[in-house]
Amino acid sequence: MKKFILVLTLLALLIPSAVHAQEQNPWGEVFDSNGNLRSDLTDLGVTTEHPDWMSVDLPFGQSLNLNADYHRYQTANGNIVVLPSASTLFFMAMNPQESGLANSVGMMGNGYGGLITFLGAVAGNNIDWGRLSAEHPEYKSPDQFWGAVLNGQQDVWTYFSGWGFITTLLQMSWNDTALRTAYLMYLNGAQNCASIPGGCSGVVTPTLPQPKICPDPTVSIQQPTISIQKTAPSNPLVVGQDTENRRGADVIAKVSIPPVIFTWHEPIYEDREVCEPSTVVGGVPVCRTESFFKECREHVEHLPDAVASLQATAALDAASQAWITSKLGQTHYGAYVHQANFTLIPGLGSWSGGCDGGGTCTATGQALKVPFADPGTFNLRLNVVTTGTRFMGISITQPRQLSADGTLQVYVTLPALVP
Amino acid sequence: MKEIPISKRNIIVAIILAVVIALGIIAIQALPLYNGSQPSVSNQEDNLASKAAVSALQAFFHVNYRNEKETWLNDVCAESTPTGCQLITAGADAMWSKFQEGKADVTATVTSQEKVAETATEQVWKMLVALSAPLPGSNKIQDTAYVVVVKTDNGWKFDRFLLEPEIKAILARQAMTVTPVKEGK
Repeated sequence: MKKFILVLTLLALLIPSAVHAQEQNPWGEVFDSNGNLRSDLTDLGVTTEHPDWMSVDLPFGQSLNLNADYHRYQTANGNIVVLPSASTLFFMAMNPQESGLANSVGMMGNGYGGLITFLGAVAGNNIDWGRLSAEHPEYKSPDQFWGAVLNGQQDVWTYFSGWGFITTLLQMSWNDTALRTAYLMYLNGAQNCASIPGGCSGVVTPTLPQPKICPDPTVSIQQPTISIQKTAPSNPLVVGQDTENRRGADVIAKVSIPPVIFTWHEPIYEDREVCEPSTVVGGVPVCRTESFFKECREHVEHLPDAVASLQATAALDAASQAWITSKLGQTHYGAYVHQANFTLIPGLGSWSGGCDGGGTCTATGQALKVPFADPGTFNLRLNVVTTGTRFMGISITQPRQLSADGTLQVYVTLPALVP
Repeated sequence: MKEIPISKRNIIVAIILAVVIALGIIAIQALPLYNGSQPSVSNQEDNLASKAAVSALQAFFHVNYRNEKETWLNDVCAESTPTGCQLITAGADAMWSKFQEGKADVTATVTSQEKVAETATEQVWKMLVALSAPLPGSNKIQDTAYVVVVKTDNGWKFDRFLLEPEIKAILARQAMTVTPVKEGK
């Protein structure tokens, strides 16, 4: 029954209270607002050690090395949370300095309050409280005594009046590995993993930036050439007056994009044999191969920035539209704008493109015999989007948007009365 | 001269008291005095508890590297509580490897020396262990062991060896108890 109550007490300690993430509170990296372990924790698994402070010295220089085991988690910021087994926690509490317990920032939620509760639950009935209060009246409550033990100010062994509880505690830990009641936090534990319970086993050590030994890469982008223009006929006539051929006009768009010049430097190392004299007199030198930095090798890459899309349009300008509906309408009743806007490419025409071996990319689009029906000035617009450049899977430049404008005159023949 | 009357009954009572006191003194003098080689067993329970400690230590320090580890563990566990057995088993691999490497072939003679602490169901005994040969890692053939024995449904059983700080605490407590107080100054 006593054991059952003890287990219940320990399990109650297991239930984490809600810890709200705060900048100053490292427990925010461990528990979400509902008190559950955060999903971005790295589970380092269970680590087992045989520390001296969990060794039972036996007669004749023999020793019984007990396992200290910890389930550990690593937070995104490199802090380590340690959950010792019940027996490990007990021995840690009995040896707060040697075990590293004193270096933790305390237990989840209430500092060492939970640990004091734990000690009271597992060992409280085995303390000679009468003798303790007679010799140390300054402790007004058991919690004050346990606090002094954890601070290393009080030797607990002097006041134990029972002995069997230790093996009972060990057995509970062996039989129920999930019986872990304390979350101990070690700030920057990943960086200082050698000094935390469980050591560096499984800890994801933050990678230190490599010292720069070669110049940074450079990117040089050259200006593309881009144009849109009418190519034929010389003087296009509105198709309404060219009823036989309905020739219209041809529009051509061209773009040529020079390569992006990406210059980077490769550190070149060479292997050399390094030998050290033998520690034994007359022995063979101990040699090993080490890499030494030799030079920075420059690489210049001509990266093609191909055309991903090409679009050309033509739009009758506002002045021309006004002239048609006003001035022309005065002499030709009912004159109107037939079609002010054309989507030339894609639509009436198409485009094709590619890149050469030097990394220069070109594209050409044309729309032939575009049936312009309105006289006036058409504004031509060419919009091009490139793919951007990549090198060895890494994006070097982002896609670019290029544009060019042109004009196209469409003529109409008007009769005139000559006096 | 004043005459003091003494009844015959009072004389008989006084004689009986004198005889009882004399017999008491003789009985106290006749009891065996404590000496270092004799156990201070004061009652039947202590006797049983100390015998359990002797049996367990004899099993524990009876090491024959030619045997299987399990044979040794079975002998130790037969004299131990279930938790005591589990504790020894937890550290047995490393110990047995050391015994095998050192080709340990040892028997032990164990004597209970003193009961140093007790609760209602536990006793701590100071034991003297003499080995037939040193164990690996040591050149001693005689040493002291402090062990906890626990009263179970199957009688007294070995539970564990005391930890170093527990031994220190008990010895310190004993020293405070037996330190003679000098009088007359």
